[in-house]
Amino acid sequence: MTHIIVLVKQVPDVSQITDNAFDPKTGNLIRTRLASVINELDAEALAFAHTMQSLMSARGKIVALTMGPPMAAEVLRYSLSRCADAAILLTDRALGGADTWATANPLAYAIRKIRKELFDSSDDYYIVAGMQSVDGDTAQVPAQIAAELQVPCVAYATEVNKTDGELTFTRIISGGSQVVRPLKKPAVITVAKYEYPLFASFARSRGAAKMQVIQWSAADVNASAVGVAGSKTRVIRVFPPGKTNRKCQELKSVAELARVIKEQLKTNAEKGHNGELNKHTYRLPDRRESLLDRSFEGTDKEIEEYHLLAQKLKALNIDDAASVNASIVDKLMADGNDFHKKTLEDMVAGLNVVKPEYTGEVWVMAEVIDGRLHEATFELVGKARELADSLSSRVGVVLVGHAVRGLGSELIAAGADRVYLVEDPLLAEFDPVSYSKAAADVFGQYKPQILLYAATPQGRVLAPMVSYQVGCGLTADCTGLEIRDSSRKGQVGILMQTRPALGGNVMATICTKDSPCQMATARPGVMKRLPPDTNRKGQIIEHKVVLSEANLSIQILKTEKAHGKVQFDSDVIISGGKGMQNRDSYDRLLDTLCESVRQRCGVRVEKGATRTAVEQGFAERIRQVGQTGTAVGPKLYVAIGISGAIQHMIGVANTEMIVAINTDPHAPILRQCDYYVIGGAETVVPELAGLLNNSKD
Amino acid sequence: MQDHSQTAVLIIGAGPAGLSAAISLKKQRPDLDVVVIDKAAGPGNHNLSGAVLEPGALTRLLDPVDANWAESEQAKSVLLSKVSRDDVMFFWGKSLAFKIEPAIRAAKMLKMSFGQMGHHGDYICSAAKLTAWLCKIAADLGVEVMHGFAAQDILWDESRHEAIGVKLVDQGLNKERHPERNYLAGEVIRAKTVLIAEGCDGLLAEKFITKAGLVRQGNQLYSLGVKELIRVSNEQYALFGAGRVVHAMGYPIWTPAIGPAVFGGGIMYPMGPNQIAVGMIVGLDYKYKDFNPQDALTLFKQHRWVRRFIADGTVVEAGAKMIPEGGSYALPRHAETGSIGRSNVLLLGDSAGFVNMCKIKGLHNAIESGIAAAGAIVEGLDTPLGLARVYTKRLEQAGVIREMETAKNFRQTVARFGPLQGMPLSVLGKWLPQFKVEPDFKAMTGATYRLRPAVRFDKDTFTALAATEHREEQPCHLEIIDESICRDECAGKYGAPCITFCPAGVYESIQGQLKAANPSNCLHCKTCQRKCPFDNIRWTVPEPTGGPRYKSM
Repeated sequence: MTHIIVLVKQVPDVSQITDNAFDPKTGNLIRTRLASVINELDAEALAFAHTMQSLMSARGKIVALTMGPPMAAEVLRYSLSRCADAAILLTDRALGGADTWATANPLAYAIRKIRKELFDSSDDYYIVAGMQSVDGDTAQVPAQIAAELQVPCVAYATEVNKTDGELTFTRIISGGSQVVRPLKKPAVITVAKYEYPLFASFARSRGAAKMQVIQWSAADVNASAVGVAGSKTRVIRVFPPGKTNRKCQELKSVAELARVIKEQLKTNAEKGHNGELNKHTYRLPDRRESLLDRSFEGTDKEIEEYHLLAQKLKALNIDDAASVNASIVDKLMADGNDFHKKTLEDMVAGLNVVKPEYTGEVWVMAEVIDGRLHEATFELVGKARELADSLSSRVGVVLVGHAVRGLGSELIAAGADRVYLVEDPLLAEFDPVSYSKAAADVFGQYKPQILLYAATPQGRVLAPMVSYQVGCGLTADCTGLEIRDSSRKGQVGILMQTRPALGGNVMATICTKDSPCQMATARPGVMKRLPPDTNRKGQIIEHKVVLSEANLSIQILKTEKAHGKVQFDSDVIISGGKGMQNRDSYDRLLDTLCESVRQRCGVRVEKGATRTAVEQGFAERIRQVGQTGTAVGPKLYVAIGISGAIQHMIGVANTEMIVAINTDPHAPILRQCDYYVIGGAETVVPELAGLLNNSKD
Repeated sequence: MQDHSQTAVLIIGAGPAGLSAAISLKKQRPDLDVVVIDKAAGPGNHNLSGAVLEPGALTRLLDPVDANWAESEQAKSVLLSKVSRDDVMFFWGKSLAFKIEPAIRAAKMLKMSFGQMGHHGDYICSAAKLTAWLCKIAADLGVEVMHGFAAQDILWDESRHEAIGVKLVDQGLNKERHPERNYLAGEVIRAKTVLIAEGCDGLLAEKFITKAGLVRQGNQLYSLGVKELIRVSNEQYALFGAGRVVHAMGYPIWTPAIGPAVFGGGIMYPMGPNQIAVGMIVGLDYKYKDFNPQDALTLFKQHRWVRRFIADGTVVEAGAKMIPEGGSYALPRHAETGSIGRSNVLLLGDSAGFVNMCKIKGLHNAIESGIAAAGAIVEGLDTPLGLARVYTKRLEQAGVIREMETAKNFRQTVARFGPLQGMPLSVLGKWLPQFKVEPDFKAMTGATYRLRPAVRFDKDTFTALAATEHREEQPCHLEIIDESICRDECAGKYGAPCITFCPAGVYESIQGQLKAANPSNCLHCKTCQRKCPFDNIRWTVPEPTGGPRYKSM
């Protein structure tokens, strides 16, 4: 009998955010003003589990599990009303304030308890979860649970089938899809999309309302890391995202649109695309000109207090560590009521700290697809170069795979000082278990201070598994990485990891704590790669890892790469969404426009698509732009019939200019683009193509 | 294990009528399983009214539950204030206004029917909030109030002349009616007793009336109410007053002698901190093919007398709903016994049509009918008389029927003779003979409504403020019976009035063919199936949780 545990989460309903959900003074989102709902992908995971169950010959139970405050029982009732047979609420004050680590850990312990108490200690079960939650967006918890339980993890599943009596899963990989089978059970399956959420059944809902939800406390599951204390990351500050600097301007005619497009492609013809170099803004204490020259990160209040202190010390002409001592504290306290004594003592003590908190190299985990390095790897190496320079350290890249040595020189040219090469025939295909073992092994020997991964489908599974194995906190999907000194106590040389949360409605700056190293995944397309320098010198260090078949967790049955090459590094990308109606319109209209732009402006043009358009069969998977597709950063992005869902828009964030053509005057994309025309693709696109073809200038 | 698909009492519709029945019944018989289902996503989401509530019925309902109910925080937040000032106005043109309370007072002294139109001592409240509060009271008593379940049909046993239960709507069909992977066939809920309390023009109510052989003496007549909740300044709100209600006849829908002549009027009720509800209620027996009730609302808002209270205000919520106005003659009764219902099925509240048009109120009767239904179930358990007959007897005892009788003919007189002659004639009220009145849709003519606001009404914003939504990929729930009628007859003769009158802008002409193009905007008011001049539209029930999400309407 095969059982299924479905992980569900209660989240704020970010789709219904209204103006009054934001604090008018600070601009921060007030979470209590939002209704609570089940995380959409978890609702889909529940439906996915239901389909899995229907394919099984010996159907077992579906158990819904959540961790949260008592009101999170609502999502369990939701699950019971649809397909769950039992529901467990892990609730305890001690569990509050947890990061992904301290969430995954007690959940994994709860799963062990479910196995023992509900499944008669049988290992014949799956753990199914939505790929990520809409409030956290990290996609880390399921993979961390897999790491804690040491079981296979099939991430980004979109479909389940039965082949030869076994369940097989279709999952999204970079540039295609794959049919896989976990080699043993239990296994974690994360669902990227399954758009058939179940409806509530009357009889089930009535039963659910009367059914007792099983409640477990932290002590009941006896987890090893819970709550704030068990977390390995800490939020430094939360702030509203910067106002979009997109122009959001409506164009009243297609002729104006044609003019804007030509102008954009003309003015950019001379400009370099990847030319700008990052400035080093951070210096370690021993390289600073003055004691007070520190770049601190903290809450607004903390930063304000530091500046006040700096001012006062300057006024007293104190600028060397030796004279900053306890007597200063008394002096400043006597001076007025500006500080709490404890705060002041901490800050003064902090000024004396000169030793960096972490030591070691700045590492990047390389990602190899079809024998080539993923573009995001180069971006990360560029970022690592900047970080390493400010920390006076070296850049290392971990290159795992089979027959990948040849890629080492590319990495060195891109900015790496050392390439740690782990080669093995068993590493020919990406398997989260074997890869994380390899990465953890090389990590254990060289102990870097920072390890960065690309937030690609592969990186977002590998990173949580490696970090969990080596006991390290992890921040997902960063859009900003900077070295700063942290907080009042003056930790020096800390990696500040800034990321959007709550569907992009807030930004959070996070740092690692209680960890040997600082780990983060970074959003592809946000960091800039450096121009390759073939004269750079570097070292390739081989590292041997002992692997056997037992380290493989997943059998790959079929890989489908979209045929043909998609050149997403083109100058112009023209994408179609659900609004294209059908495959014929998608091909016909987009090809026409691509051709016109190519001819008229002499630039490289490529076709893209939204996830929905791909699902509907308008385009191949390889053309998908967005979070689960490819992140792009062209000079011009033309979005036709695309609503502008956040998952899509973060994939085009690095674009210079976004132009939208949409029939819906309320489509979210109109607030996230530079120019837009309200109109149907069938009328606007041919007219635009005609205008481009016939224009003289 | 308990069979969750059956219950002793099943109530269709968690509105004031259904919840009153549930509360009263559960209080008397805690042992009975009482289930209330509602198609809305949450409590009060589909409830809209003025509203002014006579306190008597509510007191009779809640006193047995909690003698101190009126002192509870929730009661205070729902029953906003008592009416202390009652303005009945007549508007002549865009700027003149006359008070006509003296006429009402005189009518009251002479015991004429429309003398009932006074509201002193009544509560001003939001029907959505009232409903949400009743939901909570019911749930606390142990009633199973279940939102997100829509009934599609009543299962009627032809041989035993009683209901078996109801069938819920199918979910997970795509636009072409093919089942998707998550298809859930409509479940059957079996019940010993079924109370139909769906509100105006109920889908199950009408099916039941047909199946069980109930008849109406006269056609049901409807009005459409469109309403906006407007946030105004402190000064404007103070000027208006928290205890004042305004009812205004005349402009923009009725100007004696020169027209237009539409039955109805405007309302203004204060709705708590700085909010004034402004509404326009129009009889659907209007004759103008191009009349949009929302345009009338705009003109009303622009009237000089109204404008000063709401100018520069922000509309924060909006909605639309039909009102059953046929009164006594339109009550569906069993042909032989005269019962309002049959055997184990009862019709409650607006589903029966318990609106008193002289008072322009129905909430109190809805609650009263709920109490009567509960009483009948309790009594009916040990009496041989059919449940429906006990219920009808109790309605008589409670005075609901008598009150309906006093208002008899009022609406019909106006429908028959128009507002000018009809209003004065209706003074004779109950002494007049019954008129034959055609259904509303037959009143449509080629005449045009001559008043036009400067700006076309923005139906998109209106529906957005009603927070209405439906799952897009479901079959269209608005059925056009014969599309060729729209194309070949209606377009030429009336210019497709549904495009104009539908408050949600559901209907559009696409390349010459009328389509229910935007079903997901539907506000569930059902005006289309009552006012299509060819009786060519049917409102069917969409998947549950769809529709508006009223909070304070």
